[in-house]
Amino acid sequence: MSRTAPRIDPITLEVQWQRLISIADEIDNATIRTSFSTIVGESHDFGCAMMDQDANGLCQAQWSPPQFCTMLPITTKHMLARYPKETLRPGDILITNDPWLGSTHLPDYNVVTPVFHKGKIVAFVGTVAHVQDVGGHRGDLEAVDMFQEGTRVMPTFFYRDDRPVEIVHEMIAANCRVPDLVMGDLNAIVGTHRVAVRRIQEFLEDYGLDDIRLLSTEIMDRSETALRAAIAALPDGENTHEVTGDGYFEPFTLRVKITIRGDEMFFDYAGTSPQVRNAAINAAFNMTYSTTVYPIKCMLAPRIPNNDGLVRPLHVTAPEGCIANARFPAPVKARAKVMKHIPPLIFGGLAPLLAGEVIAPAGGIFPFRFYGDDPRYGNFATSVLPHGGTGAMRGADGWPPVAYPHNSFITPTEIMELRTPVLMLRKQMIPDSGGPGWRRGGPGQEFVLRCIAEEPITITIRPDLMKFAAPGILGGHDGRRGEVFLNGQRVERFPPLEFAAGDECVVRVPGGAGYGDPKTREPERVRRDVELGYVSKEAAKQIYGVEV
Amino acid sequence: MSAQSRYRFAFDIGGTFTDFVLLDAQTGRLETYKTLTTPQEPSKAVMEGWNVLLNRVATNGDGVETAIHATTLVTNALIERKGAKTALITTEGFKDTLDTQREMRYDIYDLHSPPVDPLIPRTLRWEVRERLNNFGEVFLEFDDASLERAIAAVGASGAEAVAICFLHSYINPAHENRAAAHVTKALPKINVSVSSEIAPEIREYERMSTAVANAYVQPMASRYLGQLVADLKSGGYKRRLYLMLSAGGITTAETAARFPIRMVESGPAAGVIATVFYGERLGVKDIVAFDMGGTTAKMCLIKGGQPSMAYTFEIARVHRFKRGSGLPVRIPAIELIEIGAGGGSIAWVDEMGLLKVGPESSGASPGPACYGLGGTKPTVTDANLLLGYLNPGYFLGGRMQLDQTKAEEATKPLADALGLSVADAARGIYQIVNENMISATRVHIAERGEDPRRLMLLAFGGAGPVHADAIARALKMPGYICPAGAGVTSALGLLTAPAAFDFAQTFAARLSQDKLAEMDKVFEALEKEGRERLSEAGVPASEMRFERGTDIRHRGQGHEIVVDLPWPKLAAIDIVNDLRPHFYERYEAIYGHAHKHLDLEIMTCRLRAIGPRPTVTLPQAPTGEGGAKVAHKGKRSAYIPDRGTFAEVDVYDRALLPAGSEFHGPAIVEEKDSTAVIGANAIARVDDKLNLVIKFTDIPADAGA
Repeated sequence: MSRTAPRIDPITLEVQWQRLISIADEIDNATIRTSFSTIVGESHDFGCAMMDQDANGLCQAQWSPPQFCTMLPITTKHMLARYPKETLRPGDILITNDPWLGSTHLPDYNVVTPVFHKGKIVAFVGTVAHVQDVGGHRGDLEAVDMFQEGTRVMPTFFYRDDRPVEIVHEMIAANCRVPDLVMGDLNAIVGTHRVAVRRIQEFLEDYGLDDIRLLSTEIMDRSETALRAAIAALPDGENTHEVTGDGYFEPFTLRVKITIRGDEMFFDYAGTSPQVRNAAINAAFNMTYSTTVYPIKCMLAPRIPNNDGLVRPLHVTAPEGCIANARFPAPVKARAKVMKHIPPLIFGGLAPLLAGEVIAPAGGIFPFRFYGDDPRYGNFATSVLPHGGTGAMRGADGWPPVAYPHNSFITPTEIMELRTPVLMLRKQMIPDSGGPGWRRGGPGQEFVLRCIAEEPITITIRPDLMKFAAPGILGGHDGRRGEVFLNGQRVERFPPLEFAAGDECVVRVPGGAGYGDPKTREPERVRRDVELGYVSKEAAKQIYGVEV
Repeated sequence: MSAQSRYRFAFDIGGTFTDFVLLDAQTGRLETYKTLTTPQEPSKAVMEGWNVLLNRVATNGDGVETAIHATTLVTNALIERKGAKTALITTEGFKDTLDTQREMRYDIYDLHSPPVDPLIPRTLRWEVRERLNNFGEVFLEFDDASLERAIAAVGASGAEAVAICFLHSYINPAHENRAAAHVTKALPKINVSVSSEIAPEIREYERMSTAVANAYVQPMASRYLGQLVADLKSGGYKRRLYLMLSAGGITTAETAARFPIRMVESGPAAGVIATVFYGERLGVKDIVAFDMGGTTAKMCLIKGGQPSMAYTFEIARVHRFKRGSGLPVRIPAIELIEIGAGGGSIAWVDEMGLLKVGPESSGASPGPACYGLGGTKPTVTDANLLLGYLNPGYFLGGRMQLDQTKAEEATKPLADALGLSVADAARGIYQIVNENMISATRVHIAERGEDPRRLMLLAFGGAGPVHADAIARALKMPGYICPAGAGVTSALGLLTAPAAFDFAQTFAARLSQDKLAEMDKVFEALEKEGRERLSEAGVPASEMRFERGTDIRHRGQGHEIVVDLPWPKLAAIDIVNDLRPHFYERYEAIYGHAHKHLDLEIMTCRLRAIGPRPTVTLPQAPTGEGGAKVAHKGKRSAYIPDRGTFAEVDVYDRALLPAGSEFHGPAIVEEKDSTAVIGANAIARVDDKLNLVIKFTDIPADAGA
C-alpha cells in the first residue's frame, strides 16, 4: 500500500480520536441506563458505533460486542443504497432488521442516524440492539424459513424530520409480544442518538472542523498500516482447519483455508456444510465476516481501537448457500450456533503458526428464555444468557463461565425471579467439566429451574455442544458436553417447551477445552483443582496421573 | 463548648503521608502538620502528629473537643489482598456466584485479561438449604442441620470472618438473621457480615460481593480502630473517635467497625467535602472538584453544594482504570471518576505512531526523569518542566531540584519517534494528558445532566493547578479556583463534614397510591435506625435531618435513577401531580426524554440521616498593599496553552500575593506544593481568603454562572 505522509499530526489525531470514542462510550452507557428489556439493560446485547460520512466504521463503544460494530457500517451502506445521502435530512433516523442487510437475525434492530453539520452529512451514529421479541414463533431452532421467525422491516425511516413515522412504529409494535419493552428500547436508542448528534456537532465546532474526512482517513490508514505490519511479520503460509458443531438435526462442519500472504490474510470457507432447510442455525454472510475478522484483531491488534481500517487487509469468502453464507430466506434465528464456532475455527487454523496467542474453544453460550402471563408476575418475557467455561490458553487455565466470543452480562437470579414465575434453584460450576490439559479448560455450569407459575408458561432453550464438545488443542482434552433435562428426561429437541408448576428443568452448560497434554500439568495445580472442586480425585489420577 | 475543649483535631492517613489539622474553633486558627505514614503501625504517625500539634498550641487531650479520621487502610487491604481469612455461608446452589459474577468481559479485544479473583476461595464457601422467593416468602424451609454443618466447617477452617448472603434477603432478612444468630452463638469470636444489613439491595452478586468485602476487612479494621482509640486515650483524649465514610459523612468508630467497607473512599470523600467547604466560602455551589496527584486525577461533580453520589463502586480492580475489572460493592459513595493521569504518568508511542500518556505511572520511585532518581521514561512532570511550568529550583518549595537535562533526554526518543522537536513532544504530552481528563470529565458531567458552562473547576493536588487552565477552558467553564491551603485539603474536609449515615432498602413495586404508605413505613423503619446512629454520634434529636430518595424507573426498565423525595410523608402526596412530574424532570435532565405513557416502578428506598454541619470560620486576610507586583518573582519562557506558543510570562510567589490583588495571564504562580499555570485570556484575583480565582476573559457573554 502506498501511504501518503500523515496529514494530521499524531497528537491532534490522538486527541480527536479519543474524543470520538468517548462519545461512543457515552451513548453505550446511556443505552444501558435507559433501556427496558433485560436483554439490553442487563445482558448488554447491543452495540454502538460511529461511522464517517461514507459510512465507514470509525470507532465503537469500548464495551460493544465486536461483531455488531463490524456489521453496522455494512448495514448502513445498504441503507444508503436505498436512501442516498442527498435524500436524508436532519432529524431522520433509519431502521432495519433484515438479516441479510443487517445483523443476520430478525431480533437485531439496526438504528442509524445521520449527523448533519453545516448542511452536510458528516457522520452516522448506529446502534444494533437485540430486542426482546419480533413476533413469529416462540422457538429458537425449529423453522423452515425466516418468515416464521418474525416481522421483517426492510430499511426505512423510523423518524423523518424529527417526527416518528407512525406507520413504522405501529407495525413494529403491533407485531411483537411485548411492545412496551421493544418500543421502549428502540425509543431509548433514539434518545441516545440525539445526544450523539449533539456531541459530534460540538466536537466539530470545538476544533473548527467542517467534517471528519481527514480524521477518518488518518484513523483508518494508520490502523490499516499497523495491522499490515503485524501480518507481514508472520511467515507466509497456508493452513486448512475444520470444526464440527452439533447443528440441530444434523451436525455441520465449518472449514476454512487460511492464507497469509505478505501483509494480507485470506479466509476461504469452501468445503463448509451447506445451509440447512429445517433448523434456524444458518449464518448470513455478515455474521461470518464479522466473526472471522474479530479474532485476528484480538491477536494482532488488540490495543488499536476498532475501525474499518482493520478489516482492509483481511479477505473473507464463503460459497453462497453454505451454512456460513446462507441464502435468503433461510431460517437464521439461532445463527449463534454457527457463529460461536468461528473464533475457535480461526484460532485452530492459526495454532500451528501462533501457538502463544491462540485460545482453545469455549463452552459458549446457552440462552434460555421464559414467556407467559401470570397473575402475580404479569406479562413477562425474560432472557438469561449463561455461558460455559472458556478455553485454556498458553498463559492460563480457562476461566469460570464468562461471555465469549461476544460480550454480554447474565441477568441476576434475583432480577429473573422478580419478573418471572420461575425459581433458579442452582447455579453452580460442574466438576470435571473443564477440558483437561496442561492448561485446563474453564468449568461449565449447571442451572436447576423450577416453575412456580399458576398456568403453564413457555421456556425456550438454545443448547450447544451437546453432541460435539469443545475440542481440546495441542494435546488438550475436550470440555464436558452440554445437557438439558426436563423432569428427569433428557431433552433432544428444542421447540418452545411447556413449563408448568412444579416442573424442573436442568440445563448443563458445557466446559471449555484444554490446551496441551494433561499429563504435563504441574501436580500442584492438579492438587489445587481437586481442593477447589474443579477436578475430582478420580480424574486427577486417571487423566492427570496425579494421586491426591 | 467549654473554653478548655476548643480544638478540633483531624487526620488523614494516606498511602505516603499522614496529614493533620488542628482547628481552634474559637478563633478559626488552623495548625497543620504532615508526616510520613507508618504502615506497620499507623497510630505511631498519628500520635506523633497529635503530640506535635497539641504542644504547638499548648493544650492537652482535654482541650480537644473532637477527633476525626480518614484512612486508606481499608482500600489498601483490598488492593493488596491483605484482609482476613474469610468464609461465606450462602443459599444452597449459589456458592459459585463469587466466581461466575456477571459473566461479562471487561476488555473485549484482550482475550488474555483475567477475571477478578474473588476474596473468598471456593474452599471456604458453604451452603445452607433454605430458599425465599422474590416476595420474601419461604419456598424451602430453613434447614438447621445444613447450617450446623456449615458452622462446623467454618469453625474448623480457622476463618476470622464470615459473610452471610442468602437469595432475596433484601426483602426478608429472617433466614440470614437466623444463620447469623447461630454463627455468633457457636463461634463467638468470629466477625459476621450479613448481606441484608450491609447492603439490602436486589442483585445477588453485588450484594454478596459487598458483604464479603465487608467481612474481609472487618477483623483488621476492628483491631486498627481499637488500637487507635486506645492510643488516643493514652494521649489524653477521652471522647469519641469519628471516621469519615465514603459518602462524605462522619460516624463513630464503633459504627465504622461494623461497616468497614464504607470507609473504602474515606480520604477522597474528605477531599470532596473540603471542596464543598471552599466553594461555600467563595459563594460557588456548582463545582467540579479536580485533584491531580502523582498517579491519578480525580474529578467529582458538586451541584448546589451536594457532591454527586454513586451507589455501586468497584474495588481492587485487575486493571486499575478498566471499568468492570474489579469487585462491585453496593455502598453509598461520593462519586469520583478516577483517570490514569498524574504527574508521574508515562508518555509512550503506540504501534500506530500515536502519542499516548498513561495509565502506567513512574510512581514516587523512580519517579519522573527530572527527579534524577533513576527514572528514564518521559512523564507528565518532565513535560511540565520542559514547558516552563515548573521552576527547577522551587519544586516542593525547593526541597527537590529538578533536572531539565534529564527531562530532555527522556523525552528525546519519544520526540524522534513522533518526528517532532522535544518541545513539541512535551506540548503533546501536556495536551494528551489534558484531553484524557477532559473527555472523562465531559462525559461525567453530561451523564449527570449538567452543563459545564455553569460550573467552576476547583483544582488541588500537586499537579491540579498546572492543568486546570487547559481543562476548564476546554470544558467551556467560566474559570477555575486554586484554593489556599490545598496541601491538607482532605484533613480540612474532615472538620467540615456532618455526622451522617446512609441507608438503603430494596422495595420493588409498581408505583401506586397504596404503595406510598408502605414506602412511608420503610422510611420510618430506616429513620429509626438513623436516629440511633446519629444519637450514638452525639447529635441531639432536634438537629437530626432525614433525606429521602428512591431508585425509580419506568416500569420494565433495567436501570433506575435516584431521585430525592422532598415530602415528609408520601401517603399525603399525589402520584400524578407530585411524584410523576418530579421524576420526569429529573429523568429528562439526564436523558432528554421520558416515556410518559408508562407506569413507574420503584426499586430501592434510600435514606440519609444527617446531623448539622459544623461551622468552621477561617480568618480573613487583610487586603494587602501594593497589588500583585509585590509578589512578582520575574519572568520565564513558558508554553501558553491558549495561544499555542512559548512566550515570556510573569511568575508570582503565591505566598506573597496580597488579598485583593489582581493580574492578567499569561502567568505562573508558584507555591510550596504546586504551581498554577494561567493562560493568556484570563484574569486572576486573590480573594479575601487568599484563594486564587481565575476567570477567562474570552468566553461568550451568555456563558458563565
